[in-house]
Amino acid sequence: MAEQPEPSSNGSKLLRTLGVESTMRIDPWWGLVVLVIILIVVLCVVSADPFWNMLRFVSDGILITVIITVSSFVLVLVLGLFGGLGRLSQNRFIYALATVYVEIVRGIPLLVQLIWWYYAFPAVIKEVGNSLGIQVLADYQANPIAMAIVGMTVCYGAYMSEIYRAGIQSIPRGQMEAARSLGMTRFQAMRHIILPQAIRVVLPPVGNEFIALLKDSSLVSVVAVTDLTRRGREYMSTHFNPIETWTMVALVYLVMTLLSARGVAWIEKRSKFER
Amino acid sequence: MNSGEPIIQIKDVHKHFGRVHALRGVSLDVRKGEVVVIIGPSGSGKSTLLRCINRLEEYDAGNIVVDGISLDNAKNINIVRQEIGMVFQSFNLFAHLTVLKNLVLTQRVVRKRSNEESERIALELLNKVGIPDKAEAFPIQLSGGQQQRVAIARALAMNPKIMLFDEPTSALDPEMIKEVLDVMLDLAKEGMTMVVVSHEMGFARAAADRMILVDEGQIVEEAVPDKFFASTNERTKLFLSKVLHM
Ligand SMILES: Nc1ncnc2c1ncn2[C@@H]1O[C@H](COP(=O)(O)OP(=O)(O)O)[C@@H](O)[C@H]1O
Ligand SMILES: [Mg+2]
Repeated sequence: MAEQPEPSSNGSKLLRTLGVESTMRIDPWWGLVVLVIILIVVLCVVSADPFWNMLRFVSDGILITVIITVSSFVLVLVLGLFGGLGRLSQNRFIYALATVYVEIVRGIPLLVQLIWWYYAFPAVIKEVGNSLGIQVLADYQANPIAMAIVGMTVCYGAYMSEIYRAGIQSIPRGQMEAARSLGMTRFQAMRHIILPQAIRVVLPPVGNEFIALLKDSSLVSVVAVTDLTRRGREYMSTHFNPIETWTMVALVYLVMTLLSARGVAWIEKRSKFER
Repeated sequence: MNSGEPIIQIKDVHKHFGRVHALRGVSLDVRKGEVVVIIGPSGSGKSTLLRCINRLEEYDAGNIVVDGISLDNAKNINIVRQEIGMVFQSFNLFAHLTVLKNLVLTQRVVRKRSNEESERIALELLNKVGIPDKAEAFPIQLSGGQQQRVAIARALAMNPKIMLFDEPTSALDPEMIKEVLDVMLDLAKEGMTMVVVSHEMGFARAAADRMILVDEGQIVEEAVPDKFFASTNERTKLFLSKVLHM
């Protein structure tokens, strides 16, 4: 009578009526992922030209997008931790440094930051090299992918700092006090007591940052990085089929973001049970 | 009956929070093995006094010496804190760790004990506070009384010389107060040095060597329990009449 409907009640109801007791829970969102993948496959099969050709053409761009996203994100996790701890530091200098960093970065559009790192930063290095007579610096050539990763990391690191800061602050003060009263240093208390609890709190927003970073990585196409978006543009400019090209590019991004969202949900769920 | 030398020496300590003058020249000596019970109205500075003893709060003036180490120039406050266990009103168990790990972690990190030794000590102490069967539970799965007993065990695992209790039973349902007080009584009998902020007058009568009334940041009266309960001081009488009718 007061039966609680389960999230995936259709499947389990069917199994139950068949006399099968199901312990497997199918997340209905997976359906959407599968649907988009099927759509891509159907398009490629039904009309290999241009869809399949196009997909093959941009596949190296997909790899670049993944590389930039993943490596930036790993660096963002580290930079954000330092930024977040800096924003909570009792040392005024460190606090000021972290705050200035966060405020400056958050006040500038990501696209402008990426352009700055690719065009302005190498020029600055060259100037310095020239004026100091250091040949290595004067000959400095910017690597587009490296600069894109730097740009994405610096920008997202600022937002991540604030997420970490909020997460750490959400842990009751008593936890730190208990740890300190037992003789732990501030560092030990952070590492063993506060951060493990804060990580659980920040998991959902951190997951969102990953997906946002993945989408924003398309901006690096402007600074000479041959990512998915740029390869899409290259394909279109030779084949003149904007509808097919940009539909396919959009679908590929969609698959990646949907998959990421499932991954994030999975990690969140696991971290709830496993303590 | 306690003739030991003072293990805590508090001399004319002042503490301000902005414009609030929370401690106004408090002096107090606690001898080894002594049980001191502190009472006083809310906001009178009891917690602040207790928290100054392990420097969770830093005092502005005066001096505190714990076990021969002056907190003024304690280079490593963590060394002093290892000797002082503190039990809070809100238990403050580490929420992400099981009961056992709550007791083991600090031993390993601070005392550098092996995992086996830490676990053995932890289980002994859980037995002592009467909850040997909850080692694998998480704090949230325990009642308040059980949590507070775990918190006491966690503090004891560090082999402190002094235990500070800040209203350890005031967040508990009435039926759980006794189980915590019993553990504290045992500790007192074993000769632990204890400074206890509590309005449990039954405990004070049974365990206290000395009672102290704090009001507006100052010690108003200080006496052995018999004399304290028979006090002629107006403020003591007024406050006792309130807590005895709770
Ligand atoms: N961290 C703090 N910041 C500002 N004021 C505080 C702080 N802690 C305590 N106080 C103030 O100091 C006074 C004494 O507080 P406390 O020692 O907690 O009293 P008690 O424990 O006797 O209730 C109160 O007026 C309280 O508001
Ligand atoms: Mg208090």
